[in-house]
Amino acid sequence: MTIGPELPRVTVEGFDGPLDLLLELVEERKVDILTVRLGDLAEEYLARVRALAALPAEEVSAFLMLASRLVLLKARSLLPSLEPLAVDEGESEEELRARLLEYAATRERAVALGQRLRAGERGFHREGGTVELPPKGGSTDALAAAWTRVLALAVRQREEDIVAPSERYSVEQRTAEIEELFQTAERVTFAELLGDDPTLGFAIVTFIALLDLYRRSVIDIVQDELFGEITVTSKGRGTPRAAARDEDGVPSDEDEVPSDDGM
Amino acid sequence: MTPTANAIQAVLFVAEVPVSRAELARVIGVTPRAIDAALEELGATLEDTGLRLAHEADDWQILTAPANAPYVSAYLGADRLRVSSASLETLAVIAYKQPATRAEIEAIRGVNCDQTIYTLMQRRLIEERGRREAPGRPILYGTTWEFLECFGLASLDELPRVMTPEGLVDQEATP
Repeated sequence: MTIGPELPRVTVEGFDGPLDLLLELVEERKVDILTVRLGDLAEEYLARVRALAALPAEEVSAFLMLASRLVLLKARSLLPSLEPLAVDEGESEEELRARLLEYAATRERAVALGQRLRAGERGFHREGGTVELPPKGGSTDALAAAWTRVLALAVRQREEDIVAPSERYSVEQRTAEIEELFQTAERVTFAELLGDDPTLGFAIVTFIALLDLYRRSVIDIVQDELFGEITVTSKGRGTPRAAARDEDGVPSDEDEVPSDDGM
Repeated sequence: MTPTANAIQAVLFVAEVPVSRAELARVIGVTPRAIDAALEELGATLEDTGLRLAHEADDWQILTAPANAPYVSAYLGADRLRVSSASLETLAVIAYKQPATRAEIEAIRGVNCDQTIYTLMQRRLIEERGRREAPGRPILYGTTWEFLECFGLASLDELPRVMTPEGLVDQEATP
């Protein structure tokens, strides 16, 4: 039997190994893996191994071990008189055949898996769809009521534009007004601050003024439920005017502003 | 479908990770036995849809049906997974023999399998499954959910059956 010119298959990740080479010889010769005398493959196998010189020594050794096994099997089949041999002779022909059969099954399974992979018929699971639950406490009624109020403000804004287009508010001015309010009141609601008839601009300026006061720790803001009334309370300290009201009579320093601690 | 099967479908629809049979029983408020029956019903119902009911041991998940992979891939912009033939052999040993140690895999393949095991771990096709109580306590390897997904398998029962050289259809026991 002539030896094919092609080299044994060598893959990048790791060559296919001595069993693979042996299995390939079996398949090339179209012999039955169950009945072929493995020793008969020894010469051809050795010829293939000689072409493996390019592989690292430790990998070649695995091929050589199988080659020596095959040569021994062949010798024994040619000289049956050698029958009684050392106990530690190692793997018998049947053991090697069993290993080869198992490897052949593995290779077929690998091929079957590879076909599935190439067919690309894979599954996908749902991903990244974390469910965002709405904040608790809200109801569609409250949302509708809030929207109605906004619409009412917007309508009023349009009317005011016509009647008094020059109306302007400043946040600084409104902040000062609210601070002044807290000289006489401990607590006030946002609705009270807006008054009965706010314009959109007035509401926005008031709201920003509150945020600014809160940032400066002058006031506390509490809202018990979503879209509910906002209650504003004075912190009773930190504002020069509040300090001035203290019984201790700590002198009021006009420009003392609490440190901007990055709220 | 029965209300329990509907309930399972709803829970698995929002679940991004596999849900165990025990957890399904807990959240739906029925016995695990009732879950088994409903899962079977759900699996059969989904056969005619673009989805499949998949499981790995007692963990369940709804996946897209393999036939729809091209469209889902196109939508997700997913690349096709490529695995070398050497890695496929190692994967085949692990898939059919799991859990398996490196020594067992190497005994079958007849070559060192460090690199292929590493590659398969990197691609999350296999994972460590504890250690065998034997000298050296070798690491045991098994396949992952990603493996089932990538190969379009609803469970390990669907591993391709091949003709072994003995001429028998592979009868490998799967967990």
